[in-house]
Amino acid sequence: MSVVKNVYRPITAEILDVVTETPTIKTFTVGPKEDIGFKAGEFMELTVPGLGEAPFTPSSSPSVKDKIDFTIMNVGKVTDAIHHMDKGATVGVRGPFGAGYPLDAWKGKEILIVGGGVGGAPLRALFLALVERLDDFKRILYCYGAKTPEDLVYKELLMNKWPKLDPKKIEMRVTVDEGDSSWKGNVGVVTTVVKDLGMDLANSIGVVCGPPVMMKFGTFSLVELGFPHNAIYLSMEKNMSCGIGKCGHCMLGEFMVCQDGPVMTYDKVKDKPAIWE
Amino acid sequence: MEAHFLTDSDLVSFLNWLEKRGDVYVTARDDDGNVGIKPYSETGDFAYPGVRAFQPLKPFFFSALEEVAEYPSTESPIKESKPFAIIGAAGCDLRAIEALDKVFLEGDFKDPFYEERRNKSLIIGIDCTEPLETCFCVLVGVKPYAEKGFDLGLVKIEGGYVVEVGSEKGKVVVGENKGLFKPATENHLSQRDGVRKKTTDMVEKQSKEFKPGGTWQSVMAKAYEDNAWSKNVETCVECGACLFICPTCQCFLLYDQKTKDKYKRLKMWDTCAYRSFARVAGGANPRDQLIERFKHRYYHKFDYFFKNYEFEACTGCGRCIVACPGEIDMRKVLKEICRS
Repeated sequence: MSVVKNVYRPITAEILDVVTETPTIKTFTVGPKEDIGFKAGEFMELTVPGLGEAPFTPSSSPSVKDKIDFTIMNVGKVTDAIHHMDKGATVGVRGPFGAGYPLDAWKGKEILIVGGGVGGAPLRALFLALVERLDDFKRILYCYGAKTPEDLVYKELLMNKWPKLDPKKIEMRVTVDEGDSSWKGNVGVVTTVVKDLGMDLANSIGVVCGPPVMMKFGTFSLVELGFPHNAIYLSMEKNMSCGIGKCGHCMLGEFMVCQDGPVMTYDKVKDKPAIWE
Repeated sequence: MEAHFLTDSDLVSFLNWLEKRGDVYVTARDDDGNVGIKPYSETGDFAYPGVRAFQPLKPFFFSALEEVAEYPSTESPIKESKPFAIIGAAGCDLRAIEALDKVFLEGDFKDPFYEERRNKSLIIGIDCTEPLETCFCVLVGVKPYAEKGFDLGLVKIEGGYVVEVGSEKGKVVVGENKGLFKPATENHLSQRDGVRKKTTDMVEKQSKEFKPGGTWQSVMAKAYEDNAWSKNVETCVECGACLFICPTCQCFLLYDQKTKDKYKRLKMWDTCAYRSFARVAGGANPRDQLIERFKHRYYHKFDYFFKNYEFEACTGCGRCIVACPGEIDMRKVLKEICRS
């Protein structure tokens, strides 16, 4: 028997905690039994034993190594099975894979984050990583939108905790498509708060992550505002399966998104077929 | 390139020696005259085929279905395979292995299962003498003979074979059979060159009408919105035959199963012709329409792969033309999208 590392084997992990974020989204904290670190934006394949894998970008801080959070929307076979799992259940993790956010290259810049729905998951890992080295960045403006107030993922963090971290450097703008009686904030899709940025665009980074329609119009609004295409970082949502750039499911033009992405700049992908689908 | 001469009877001795070393697979003609690949232990001889086999060599390295992991576990070892030799790889087959090597052995991650079998393989190429009507290797930069990518290359000449040595592995094997391999003479080599020229001319001639006006990349760069695609996709029944039979198609699906007390992960061939192939759980599907999937295949072979590796992932073997129940001929499709 050879001792070559088997990239297809999942590492065993235990679900340590489950938090219900919205009616369709839960955050699962898992404890992997072997070392598996990651950088913000890199993704992992999460295994439901016997059923299969699905790709998720961790939502916790990359500096925490022994516990990893995955914020998961119930949309398919694997995610539905995960949603029915409780504390103590066994899952598998494989990864991390792909290219994350290049924080070192962003030193000294202003950072605009545009997120929507469960796209807030990778963005939380990114935000936490940015905050841990806040001295490196000039400013963070985080615009986040959800359908209704009850669909806001990490509501407490977005509304109360994060705005107080460093009001001089961090600004949060939260919006919902449809308000309710308790909602006092902005009503409208996320692009309605992506304006009056007060940013030096030549020295800024735009990050977009969310459902396909939001990705598309979020990106267009950044382009319209004048962000250079190579300063707009997108999280491409494709069917990443093997994670190692071989199986072909996540192909976007000549790119294997699982290896060349999932974080990719707009200039690289804008002319590829069906980038928003 | 180092070249030797091997008589007909010495080739048999050499195959027998190879069989002691591991498994040996040879090309063989069936009763209908079709060339396939069979274990040497079954055929007992080797009839120089002069053409590629009907099946690709891909399954020797990349199985149609195999177990790749068992879990939960802290290690899931890669099964060691027996050394094996394949005799009868045509130029297109060799190019296909080159393409699969790029995919499975390069980048940040290697596929350890592919690597194990690739390391254990000895590839013996052949020169084509009887190309099929569907052969078009010369249009994608491939020669109808063993030009590169082999351990040993055989060319049938009078009374025996010219044997070229293409790798260190090939050199070692020849070194261990010094008594069998004689020096190749000028006459042997000129016979080899004659065989090559004759076949190349044949394939050039039948491919002439399909020759693109520029590089494939320049053609593909202009062809995405061409009307000819919709006409050509009409008879596609989405069976995936063209992709399963393709010697370079790499796509696979990971599939988990419960066993008695554990779980196992299987890796099985998959194809981008299937509608759900690229669909994500949220419902978005970049290639929901058949025509998009149809184009994706051509673009992967003639454009995307080239962008990554500087050669096309089509070898011109023509297997997809033969396999297609809708009579879709890749050469004709490309000709039409080029022309308009």
